[in-house]
Amino acid sequence: MTIIRIHPAIAALTASLCLGVSTAQAEVFVQCPGDTNGDAVIDTPDPNHPNAVCKHLTGGDGFVTMADGRPLYMFGFSDVTGLAPTAVMSAGDLAANFPAPTLSFKEGDEVYLTLTNVGMAMRPDLFDPHSVHFHGFPQAAPVYDGVPDSSISINMGASLSYYYNIVEPGTYMYHCHVEATEHMQMGMLGNLYVHPRQNGTAYTYQGKAYTTFVYNDGDGSTGYDVEYPIQIGSFDHNFHDASQAVQPLPFADMRDTYPMLNGRGYPDTINPNALPAPADNGGKVSQPVSSLITATAGQKILLRISNLNVTRFHTLSLLGLPMKVVGSGARLLRGPDGKDLYYATGSVTLGGGESVDVLVDTTGAAPGRYFLYTSNLQLLSNNVEDFGGMMTEIVIN
Amino acid sequence: MKRLHMKIMPRLVAALWLLIGLTSGNAWAVIDGLTGANFTLTAKAGYIATPDGNSVLMWGYANGAGLMQYPGPTLIVNQGASVTITLNNTLAVPVSIVFPGQQGVTTSGGTPGVLTAEAAPGGSVTYTFTAARAGTYLYHSGTRPDLQTEMGLVGALIVRPTAADPLHQAYEHANTHFDREYLFLLTEMDKTVHEQVEFGQMNSVDMTKYHPTLWFINGRNGPDTLAEASVPWMPHQPYNTLPRMHPGEKLLMRVIGAGRDLHPFHHHGNHALLIARDGRLLESTPGAGPDLASADFTVKVVPGETYDAIFEWTGKGLGWDIYGTGPDYAHNCTDGNGDSFDDATSEYCPDHGKPLPTSLPNQLDLTFGGMWTGSPYLGLMGALPPGQGGMNPSAGFTYMWHSHTEKELTNDDLFPGGMMSMLIIEAPGVPIP
Repeated sequence: MTIIRIHPAIAALTASLCLGVSTAQAEVFVQCPGDTNGDAVIDTPDPNHPNAVCKHLTGGDGFVTMADGRPLYMFGFSDVTGLAPTAVMSAGDLAANFPAPTLSFKEGDEVYLTLTNVGMAMRPDLFDPHSVHFHGFPQAAPVYDGVPDSSISINMGASLSYYYNIVEPGTYMYHCHVEATEHMQMGMLGNLYVHPRQNGTAYTYQGKAYTTFVYNDGDGSTGYDVEYPIQIGSFDHNFHDASQAVQPLPFADMRDTYPMLNGRGYPDTINPNALPAPADNGGKVSQPVSSLITATAGQKILLRISNLNVTRFHTLSLLGLPMKVVGSGARLLRGPDGKDLYYATGSVTLGGGESVDVLVDTTGAAPGRYFLYTSNLQLLSNNVEDFGGMMTEIVIN
Repeated sequence: MKRLHMKIMPRLVAALWLLIGLTSGNAWAVIDGLTGANFTLTAKAGYIATPDGNSVLMWGYANGAGLMQYPGPTLIVNQGASVTITLNNTLAVPVSIVFPGQQGVTTSGGTPGVLTAEAAPGGSVTYTFTAARAGTYLYHSGTRPDLQTEMGLVGALIVRPTAADPLHQAYEHANTHFDREYLFLLTEMDKTVHEQVEFGQMNSVDMTKYHPTLWFINGRNGPDTLAEASVPWMPHQPYNTLPRMHPGEKLLMRVIGAGRDLHPFHHHGNHALLIARDGRLLESTPGAGPDLASADFTVKVVPGETYDAIFEWTGKGLGWDIYGTGPDYAHNCTDGNGDSFDDATSEYCPDHGKPLPTSLPNQLDLTFGGMWTGSPYLGLMGALPPGQGGMNPSAGFTYMWHSHTEKELTNDDLFPGGMMSMLIIEAPGVPIP
């Protein structure tokens, strides 16, 4: 193989040309094959990219409401897919969601994900870039990995399109990697998972037919009926308040006071609806994701559990129903020669950046409410409220 | 955090600029340490440097009459060897060494202690064991270990297998082959403890108030992790952490939880196959090889545990040609053996010739990383604005390897730093010593 290196003179010329035409940039710019009007929706499928999937996110700031009623300032993403480019900046303003909009893809997709940085309305002194880090993406290349040291990050008022050729199913996660400790504590975290090619094929496993699976297992052993992403997260209100008040940020003393699942503390976790929009957001809903899990007795529930908090490990326990872990780190739990490494358990422990796929078989379970909660029991709290925090319910009908 | 960020950046730049000089120094190729079967360690005091400009009193194991070092010397022995370690003590308190994972450790000399025989102040003690099983282990003080391990009396022990090529195999089984290996010994620190010891308040130390603010890989905080090994301005922290490899190679990560906290060690770039834990191959029956291994993108590092994981990267399936397309980037992908990869470069041939799927934004819309080369392609430089980039002279693909408890990416309240390092995938042909 021969690699021809760019002659320095050509590189310099290219640089000068790029700089020479660079006066009219900084605009919302979506790259999406088959999208004719820039709204990240495919209008005429491109025959060269029949499996293209497009998304458009904004990165900015906003507010969320903790389960004890406290509003907190945050940084975050929001979904502007479907909006005309001219509508994106105002739609993304103070629109940060927690968790970030859930991204769900399927194996074989060609994902074109555009990130537009709308800036921080509450912090005009900041000029932070943002990025999307597809955490766990296999065989990643720096250009689309979103790590600021190794790559490029997008400045305010402009757009960067990421490309992911999706070849491995599983439960991933995503977050902004710019000034990671700060931007992640501030809330730029979200669920991301990939369905396998095997979906749609029927397999019968232990007498039950399935058409949806966690992985390409070849035998139906990861079949499930309903799925729920559950992302562990937590906020330190002192850190968020310091950010809003333009004060030095307490990195060393960071101590999370609001343990959450999918951006809410109990009992907000079981509210099936979006939480009301915080007043400071101007009517924009920021916590749309419920963690209420419902199933009919006999169904198999898939819990896609990930942890993106930035301060500690967490254990989640499930009271009264069995858990079986069939995947970890977006991989089927099987050895190199195919040995089954699934395991039954009553709890899972995850550090930041870890994920597991848990099947909950409700066969024979009595109808009622079952609790998925942290057995780090001091975290069943919403700051000083000592009942709440990192817990949700599974309702069996 | 603009102001703090700007304060730390010059140090980051300085550390990364060392990469410019990376053509020399064979210290980068293998795990630094002492080889043999007979070692003399000396417990000593000294000061380490942290990137926030501080220095911290440590106790550490020195090699013979050498300098106190943090962590202690990495002891590299052969499976089956009878290992003898003599510990001399220059500290004012008794010290010792325990060897978790080793069986049949005997002692001679010294004074009786709770966990093992100890060297009294000014005294010595000798430990002997047979390194019966290959693998990655640690050693640390067995005397008031909550304090003494925090003070720095900790190190790594590597047992090379009885195998045809023990320098490229982690265990006896051939499926544990690797091309390169790197050590990741993870620790944290509460500097208040060290200040109390320094000012004669050792017995006032209250470990229930333990509050770490510094996080280390191989005894250095980021970005010092990236500086070369044995640099003169960190005489007590000789070990660096800068893994480098070519596409298609196997990199063995030897990871040790050498402190008291759990750390989720996230290796960007690809999954790694966890083949062993605590020096025990994950196999269903003896001799089966790592058939119970599984791949993950994070190593869950528990205190006192060790891990061996094999990391590979080729860029397979990215859907675009990592060496570029068009006349400026002409190259071949030759797959003679039918494995879908170029026989020499490990390029994934099904992606050969596929153009980069997106255009990159205008330069004024971007913030550039110091290791960004201006080009999305491996081994190639592109155009960058003046003053940008420059920390990646061979234009490798770089990936952060770090604790995903992101709080730990700080140095005593300053971001960035802490428990972080960078992997460099070097283009084929770039020499890696």
